[in-house]
This record gives sequence, C-alpha cells and structure tokens, in this order.
Amino acid sequence: MLEVENLTIRVGREVLVKSLSLTLPHNAITCLIGPSGCGKSSVVKWLSGVLAPELDVTGTAQLGGRPITLPCPDISYQPQQDTLFPWLTTTENASLGLEIRGTRPHVARDRVRAMFPAFGLEGHEDSFPDQLSGGMRQRAAFLRTIVQDTPVLLLDEPFSALDAVTRLRMQNWLVARLEAQPRTVLMVTHDLYEATQLTDRILVMAGGPGRITADIPIPTPRAARTEAALAEIRSMLRTMLLEETP
Amino acid sequence: MLYLRYIYPALVLATFFLAGWEGYVLLTDASALILPAPSDVANGLWVERREILRHALATIGVAGVGFSLSILFAFAVSVTLHFVLWLRRGMMPLLVASQTVPIVALAPLMVLWFGFGLLPKVLLVILVTFFPMVVSLMAGYASQPRAFRDQLVSMGASRWAVFRRATLPSARVQFFSGLRISATYAIVATIFAEYAGSRQGLGIYILTAKNNFRADLVLAAVVISATLTLTLLAAILIVERATGRRFRRATHA
Repeated sequence: MLEVENLTIRVGREVLVKSLSLTLPHNAITCLIGPSGCGKSSVVKWLSGVLAPELDVTGTAQLGGRPITLPCPDISYQPQQDTLFPWLTTTENASLGLEIRGTRPHVARDRVRAMFPAFGLEGHEDSFPDQLSGGMRQRAAFLRTIVQDTPVLLLDEPFSALDAVTRLRMQNWLVARLEAQPRTVLMVTHDLYEATQLTDRILVMAGGPGRITADIPIPTPRAARTEAALAEIRSMLRTMLLEETP
Repeated sequence: MLYLRYIYPALVLATFFLAGWEGYVLLTDASALILPAPSDVANGLWVERREILRHALATIGVAGVGFSLSILFAFAVSVTLHFVLWLRRGMMPLLVASQTVPIVALAPLMVLWFGFGLLPKVLLVILVTFFPMVVSLMAGYASQPRAFRDQLVSMGASRWAVFRRATLPSARVQFFSGLRISATYAIVATIFAEYAGSRQGLGIYILTAKNNFRADLVLAAVVISATLTLTLLAAILIVERATGRRFRRATHA
C-alpha cells in the first residue's frame, strides 16, 4: 500500500497542489482523473522523483507503512511519451531500468529478451525505436517499466500518444498483463472510458489548487462489471469534470 | 559515385576558376613575382616537393598534437562545466571573452614566453580550436530532452549515469559540428604559430618564400595547407560515420 500525506506543491506563490492525501491499495489499479492543469502529473512526477527542483514541495510518502525517499527503488514511472532512446535497440531500451538498478547488462538483456514474446515484440530485439509501430514502442516502454519488478507502477497518460485502435488494443493488453502480474498502479488519464474500464478505483482531482474531490470505487471483480454500471459512473464523472472545468 | 555527384559542381567551378586565372595571367602577361599562374604554382610545388613535404610533416605534427590535446581538454572542461553550475556561470562569459583576443597579438607573445619549440605552437592551436568544441558540447548537453533525464532519474540513476546514458549521446551531433569547425582552424592556427616564430613548418616556409619573392611557392604551401585541412575534415567525417550508425537515426523522442 502506498500512502501520500499532506502533499503541497508550490511554484513561487502559486499553489499547484494543496494538502493532498491519497492511498493506493495493494495490487489495485487506481486512476487519477481531472481537468488539465489540476496537478495530476505533478503528483505522479513527485512520486517518481522527477519533479522540477525549483518547485517547493512538502508532504510525505509511505510504502507498506515505511516512509520512503524519492525517487524510490520500489516505484517505476512511465511518462506520457514512450521516451525510448533512439540510439538504443529495443532490447537495450527495455533493459535500461534493470541496468540502472544494478543488474549486469548481459543478465538484464537476457531477461528482457525472454519477455519479448509476452509483450508482442518477438523478432524486434535488435530493432531501433524508429523501426517500431506506435503500439510496439509503447509495449517496449511497458516492458522497460514492468521488468524492473517494482511493486508500484506510476503511469502518466500512457496511451495518450496512440491512435484510437492501438489505444484500445493496448488497454486490453495492459489489463491482461496486470491480471497476470498484479501491481499497485497509479494511472493518470483524461479518458473516462479508460478510467472505468481499466481501473479498480477512480480519484477525481480538481484544480486551483489541486485536491481530490471524489473517490469512486469500481465494482470488482472485473467480470462483475456491467456496461450499464460503468456508463452510470462515466456519466457521473462527466458531470463532475464539467463542473470543475471553467 | 554518390560522393562524386556531390563534389561535381565544386570541381566544375574550381576548374573554371583556375582556367580563368591561367588565361588572365597569359593574356595580361602578369609578372610571376606578383601573380603566378596556377601552372607556375603546380611547377613550384613539384620542384620543391621534398622541402614542402618536410615542412608539411612538421605542421602536421604540431597540428596533430595540438588538436588532439584540444579535443581532450575541451571534453574535460565541458564535462566539468556541465556538472559544476557555478563554474559554468563563471567560465562561459570568460570563454566567450577569450575569443575577442586577436591571435595576431598572441602568437608572438607565445614565442616570447615559451621559445621556438613545440609548446607555444601547440598552445596556440589549443587556444584557437578549443572554444568551438566546448561551446558545441555545452549546447549538445543542453539539447538533451528533459523526458530522457526524468526517465533515468525515476529509475534511480546517478548524475553521472544520466550524463553517460542520455546527455552525452544527445550531444553527439553538436560535438561533431564543433569538431569540424575546430578542424578548419587547426592547420591555419598551426601555420600562424609557425609564422610567428619557428624553425620548420609550412608557416616558416611561407615566410621564407615571401621574403624571397616566390609567390608561386607561397601559393604552393597554401595549396598544401588547404589539402591538409580537407584531409582532416574527411578523416572526421569517416570517424563520424564509422562510429555512429545507430546515431544517424537519433531524432529525439
């Protein structure tokens, strides 16, 4: 379980996020949704340890009841763009996180190569990112994130750069992957469909300054979800977000 | 054949230029002391080939040592400035200001301070070629996409690991641009350093030829100097292509 307590983020006198507290249940997918500029990405960036140093931040994070310093070795982060390094092969890109975390390069590369079929990347071990399709690039980025084997994953709009069909495929693929290998996930999204289909719980954020205004559980298990129930949640979310957006 | 297509227009223009020059000298009967014809220059080059080669080798030696040290020095300084912010803020304006110092004034002083040996000439080559490389490397480091840095930092990468894995590869294109600019200065700076005081080298050869009113030999040495610079540029291009297959696709994400 990951807990954030009293997170406040300021830029000069402007308060981006104010006294935000949230809890991510163990091995559940929590979604953070809210209007643009409400501070969703700032929260995720803070948790991943990459928030710009000029921002003034107060607040604490605990993992499994123990305080953590950020960046934390138990948390992996996937930004909006796939950020594959263009000069590295798919294998080298995918093993980057393992290598940074101390695994010997040849061991890390063997490990990611073994996972290529499961990520639909077989045969592209030595391809460069510009030789991959958008979906494959995203899967390679997911492989780089998931292979690090951290208990917590932070996904900042992971599908926003994909076309509609690829996005739908990738969403189904991610759900299957996380069912096979459950992790504690915090996912930022703008997409109501994505929020209701993929996650177990939705936290709604409002801006000016950023704070959580609603905590909506999604019926579990996934098989028990009916389209009617999800449509009702989407309708409720739409109303809440429209009220929040000026 | 592809390269031939690229240099073909330049070859045609150069041929026209040389033919026009030769024709002008022939028609106006210009004195060879003032304006020797290209054929006179070629003849002088052939007759004096051993002497010019001896001096050219001395120039290559100085330029080679100076330019190599300059590359190492530029790299070391750029890395230091990248990691130490206050030093970067202090040094960059001074480095820019250093480029306003005229080499004409500096070269004789170098000879005065360090004599006629290798040291003053190498120092001068370093002074002239070092700056474009440092500036290019710094610009290259700054061009690193923030997302690459964030990705590595979130994985727990140290500052050095971020530099090695993302910053340095991001700077490759700019590094080679700076290297090419510096290379065009390297031979010229060496010749100028030799001109200011030396026992051998193309600079002193040009000075001697000028004092003997041998404009043909001055131009012969200039041809060799230009050839050396072009050879150095070609060598850099070969190194860039041979070492950078994977970087040619490197457009930032």
